[in-house]
Amino acid sequence: MPQQQQTQPQPSPTPPKKKKIRVPRVVNGVEQMVEIEVDDVAGPTWGPNDKHTLLNHRLTRVDGPLKVSGAARYTYDVRLPGMLYARVRRCPHAHARLKNFDSSAASKIPGVKAIIQTPLKEFRFAGSPVAAVAAISPEIAHDAIRALVVEYEVLPHVVIAREALKPGSPEVLPRDSRKPDEKNLRLANKTGDVEKVEAALKSSDAIVEAEYSTSRLHHCCLETHGMVVDYSGGDSATIYATTQGTFTIPDDAAKELGLPQSAVTATVQHMGGGFGSKFGIGIEGMLACRLSNETKTPVKLMLTRYDEFVMAGNRSGSWQKFKAGVKKDGTFTALHATQYRLGGVGQGSQAGQPYAVYRVGDSYREVYALQTNEDSSVAMRAPGHPQASFAMESLLDELAYKIGMDPVEFRKKNVRDDFYKHQFDRGAREIGWERRNPTAGGNPGPNKRGMGCAAGTWGGGGNDQCKVDVTVSRDGSVVVAVGTQDLGTGTRTFTRAIVAEELGLGIKDVVEQIGNSKLGSANSSGGSTTAASLSPSVKDAAVKARLAVAEKIAPLFGNAKPEQITFAGGNVSGGGKTITWKQACAALPAAGITAHGVWRSELQSRGVHGVCFAEVEVDVETGKVRPIKMVQVQDGGLPLNRLTMESQINGGMIQALGMALWEGRTIDADLGMQLNPSFVDYKLPGSLEMPEMIPIIDDEDKREVVIGIAEAAIIPAVGAVANAVFNACGVRVRELPITPDKILIGLMSERRSA
Amino acid sequence: MSDDHDQERRKKSSRYDPSRRKFLKGVGVAGAGAALADHLLTGDADKVAAKISTPGDPLSGNVNLVLDLNGQKRNLTVEPRTTLLSAIRDRLEPPVTGPKLVCDMGSCGACTVIMDGKPVYSCLVLAVDAVGKKLTTVEGLGSPENMNGVQRAFVEHDGLMCGFCTPGFVTTISAYLKKNPNPTLDEVREACKGNFCRCGTYPRVFEAALAAAKAGTSG
Repeated sequence: MPQQQQTQPQPSPTPPKKKKIRVPRVVNGVEQMVEIEVDDVAGPTWGPNDKHTLLNHRLTRVDGPLKVSGAARYTYDVRLPGMLYARVRRCPHAHARLKNFDSSAASKIPGVKAIIQTPLKEFRFAGSPVAAVAAISPEIAHDAIRALVVEYEVLPHVVIAREALKPGSPEVLPRDSRKPDEKNLRLANKTGDVEKVEAALKSSDAIVEAEYSTSRLHHCCLETHGMVVDYSGGDSATIYATTQGTFTIPDDAAKELGLPQSAVTATVQHMGGGFGSKFGIGIEGMLACRLSNETKTPVKLMLTRYDEFVMAGNRSGSWQKFKAGVKKDGTFTALHATQYRLGGVGQGSQAGQPYAVYRVGDSYREVYALQTNEDSSVAMRAPGHPQASFAMESLLDELAYKIGMDPVEFRKKNVRDDFYKHQFDRGAREIGWERRNPTAGGNPGPNKRGMGCAAGTWGGGGNDQCKVDVTVSRDGSVVVAVGTQDLGTGTRTFTRAIVAEELGLGIKDVVEQIGNSKLGSANSSGGSTTAASLSPSVKDAAVKARLAVAEKIAPLFGNAKPEQITFAGGNVSGGGKTITWKQACAALPAAGITAHGVWRSELQSRGVHGVCFAEVEVDVETGKVRPIKMVQVQDGGLPLNRLTMESQINGGMIQALGMALWEGRTIDADLGMQLNPSFVDYKLPGSLEMPEMIPIIDDEDKREVVIGIAEAAIIPAVGAVANAVFNACGVRVRELPITPDKILIGLMSERRSA
Repeated sequence: MSDDHDQERRKKSSRYDPSRRKFLKGVGVAGAGAALADHLLTGDADKVAAKISTPGDPLSGNVNLVLDLNGQKRNLTVEPRTTLLSAIRDRLEPPVTGPKLVCDMGSCGACTVIMDGKPVYSCLVLAVDAVGKKLTTVEGLGSPENMNGVQRAFVEHDGLMCGFCTPGFVTTISAYLKKNPNPTLDEVREACKGNFCRCGTYPRVFEAALAAAKAGTSG
């Protein structure tokens, strides 16, 4: 290591003052708030948001050239000498017990090197992994898993949530002996005063009772889950992982390989999407490690697209029942909510109602996990939030129509935080809300346009896990190193930019090293916590590096104080003298300097606001919905990079559009199997469906702190699109996705009742 | 790219057409066997079909090929059933990994390569059928240091996030702009309807394509 720049530790006469702050901790992508104590000392600040030279500008991503030319090497692209290819054999039954497993035919196939079984003996969803094979080519591995002879005792299953509630339905999981009454309905959690809510409902001017449900969705990471285990029987191993958490890999991989954790290095240079689903080694990683350990040969196990659909997790579905009251003046008075989290064999995820954006008066809610024989849900971009937001925003719309109030005004009247009000105004202006026909379905002709809006919120705060090193060498080169990962979110770019800006350099003058568990520790990218966890540590390291350089080169500037030496435009100035950065660095010691940055809570915060407005066109003859225009206004403190932040807002809107209109896991009740486990049958948003999209960074937010917005971006558009569909055609589809059949059925029943 | 195929099908039924529908039709109920029978160099289709239907006794025959890839003659040995995508990713040494394996069934476009000037899904092309064709992957269009106009525009307009779909989009659009150097927004949408992006880069992919066209630097 180069010489370290550290002032001598001085005995401090009084221990530093402490202050308590609440920060999110993320477990498997789900955010939980905890209180921690930090030093209450003045550290570096970002300064005003409009005074940056690189941050808050439009920076092209530094890994762009690699990614557009095929030079970026992903885990899926890793090929090691002699490497074996692995495939997984899955159980086709929604519930079955293993009767017999015969691998004799498969093991005779030339090129097959190892066959292992998973520890499972009872399979509780179709797609549950049974065994894995390693062979010298992907094709031979595929032959081998097909040649495995597996016999099952097929057991009763239930895959339809409402069926799972019925008394005679099969048991999805064994009963908890402490709670013998709970079968498939678990986790009862009741909040609020039901009698107060009943009274408030009685005194309301209008009541809406409605049920909303959302489908289970797939992450559809283009790079499937998996890893390459580089282990040949020695005393160390390297894991190439496609993961949202570099540091979630070595421990579990080491256990599977029988190595000490320090002997295992995880590396992730580029990764093809995670969206909440890639933490830890997963069962596929466990199988890859075991196959590698058995063969003492490197093994690559990447799930097939089919595997990915049926065994790599999904977004929890939801079923939400509401009874809500409102006054004529638009005051939300009461909400009674019953929520079911539909997470298959898992617990599912929720954002509890009332959704945090709105005041609803008195409220009461019951939340349950309702289990079925389906693959467990896992975290997916803003777990629970789009589900809760869609239901709440639909309900708000129904209430607004019922009392004849403009939906924007109705929302502005009931938001908890006044900051939303100007966002609603801005969004309304950008979409052209004045063009909207207040009568649902009121426009003439078969192609009817309509508009809707909705709001979202998210945490996005950081935590104290990132240790960053900035090294400046005598030749002027600058390296910023930390083990974090870039999911395509722009982490590499802002990491470089923070250091470059602090040292008065261009973004190309700094090189970042990330994605390696031997570098400084970093948190997992879950809960939109990366930017707010990493950037304060990077800033701290950069400031320390600047001061360390200044101290070393002070003799060049008449021994000016380090704070008085300035770095700007590739030059260094002090004591009335200016020289270039390279000239200045030539005066550094031979080993250069290295500064260590730690997290500074005051450089980050949490809590963001966003609203989305959508315009759609519904063909009332076919039921087809065409998105026309979407606008999303999103704040986030200091935007580290406007270009990539806008891209994330676009991405959130597009994924939300998929959830609202097209995406959903379809499953056959009798077979218990997914019917659409492919990109042909699972409808993703495509180029032909893209509306005009306007992502707006809300610069009214003057907070000089970094907050993550990745998850915030996906939340409001789901409700906005659903509400636009209603405004367009007068049919309220309460069950996502809003497919043409549901609209046509709605139009038919409307005609019948007319 | 599917447009190309649609038009071509209407015009004539070529001997070999790597479109998904045609491929599936060719495969039919006999699965991979039928497709192989069509293409095996041995010409002994019955023998091959019999071999395939015997569990635990897969094809062991390998064939030596020369591919004309990114302006280089590349030698490799593959099983006849090996796709062009798998051949260049898993068999070539050193490998060419710009084209990605994502859906493995011709629906997402991440594996797009240019074959004799046309973008094709390399997961639907057998390696043995790519012999004698001029193949260009994203690597052949430009390098990080020397990007083509489309690649530059993708970087400038942030037409990428995770980047896994990006080689496919860049390749599709590069090929399309050669055919139509001055497209409208709607034509760009049409051109890349066979490519999926999950991060949600479409609006900026369109911007990049139009900017590259405007700059007249598709190649």
